[in-house]
Amino acid sequence: MRGAALPATLLLAALGLALARASWRTWVCSLLALAGAVAVLSQIGFAHDWIEIAFLGCWASTAASAATVYLPRSPGILVGVFLSLNAGVWVSAVVALAGKPPDLIAAVPAVLLAVPAAWLTRRRASIAVKVACSWLIAIAMLVAALPFLSTTPGYLPDHLE
Amino acid sequence: MTLAAGGFVLGSSAAQAHSGTGLPGGFQSGFRHPFGGLDHLLAMVSVGLWGAFLGRPLIYLLPMIFPAVMAGGALLAMWGLHLPGVEIGIALSVLVLGTCIATAFGAPVWLASTIVAAFALFHGYAHGQELPSAADPVGYSTGFVLATGMLHVLGIGIGTLNALPGGAFATRVMGGLIWTAGLGFLYVAVVG
Repeated sequence: MRGAALPATLLLAALGLALARASWRTWVCSLLALAGAVAVLSQIGFAHDWIEIAFLGCWASTAASAATVYLPRSPGILVGVFLSLNAGVWVSAVVALAGKPPDLIAAVPAVLLAVPAAWLTRRRASIAVKVACSWLIAIAMLVAALPFLSTTPGYLPDHLE
Repeated sequence: MTLAAGGFVLGSSAAQAHSGTGLPGGFQSGFRHPFGGLDHLLAMVSVGLWGAFLGRPLIYLLPMIFPAVMAGGALLAMWGLHLPGVEIGIALSVLVLGTCIATAFGAPVWLASTIVAAFALFHGYAHGQELPSAADPVGYSTGFVLATGMLHVLGIGIGTLNALPGGAFATRVMGGLIWTAGLGFLYVAVVG
């Protein structure tokens, strides 16, 4: 079972954290780009064959967006808009192929993580944002690999048994 | 966050977290998982506690390294690669981390990172073996990585006791208790 809400939420959370160090202008441009991309792409039908590519793109984008917090420079307008357009593409694709429109509505607030993350960054606690991003990267890495496994040995006895 | 973690600890049991077959899957199941096995729980808290002892940069590096390498360990298990001595590795993680805390071992960055990464591999492997295929693996993975991270944060929170009078002694005593538990886990892992 693969829902669209959680992958979309985590990608938008990664985007929000990535924008934490950005200027207000970058925030506005990025959020407009995200809204535009989602608005346009949610009207487009995606071929169902693309489902694996959509999920892979979503997880790769989550890891890449989260990884930008380790860059020495804060994202400028170009980087912010690019990350937002990229997130908009994959979120729209995943929701269109594996979810329902309410998944998108549930996921979008995750981008507002930028607000507390920016607050932490301004108070020299940006390391909390970096730690959270490392967790997002770990999750993305793990679940991106799931479709490539021939079997998942979850049905085997527990390591304590 | 710590209160939420405590609630999960109190509300879970070994049977729920390490039941093996037929894991229900999903975020909640994955989140509860690290709280259910005392060996995992003590190791995760110990990573944060030791990090708090070691200070910057390890206080934040260790909670970043552990989940990342743990995910790698889980992938090894899911790909069916054999990792020998997983149980012993997990027991040793509790024993060694307990020792490091009890002795307030001031390891250099490279050594502390290597120790934690090596043990994370075993913990991740154990999680990967249990990752359900039929249920919701995305939610499960998200849950167990976040819970692991929160346990590190809990350990760091306990480690702030160091700043109080007698706090360092108290945390070293905790390290001794963790070491004792690790010894028990190792005995079970080796003798069965």
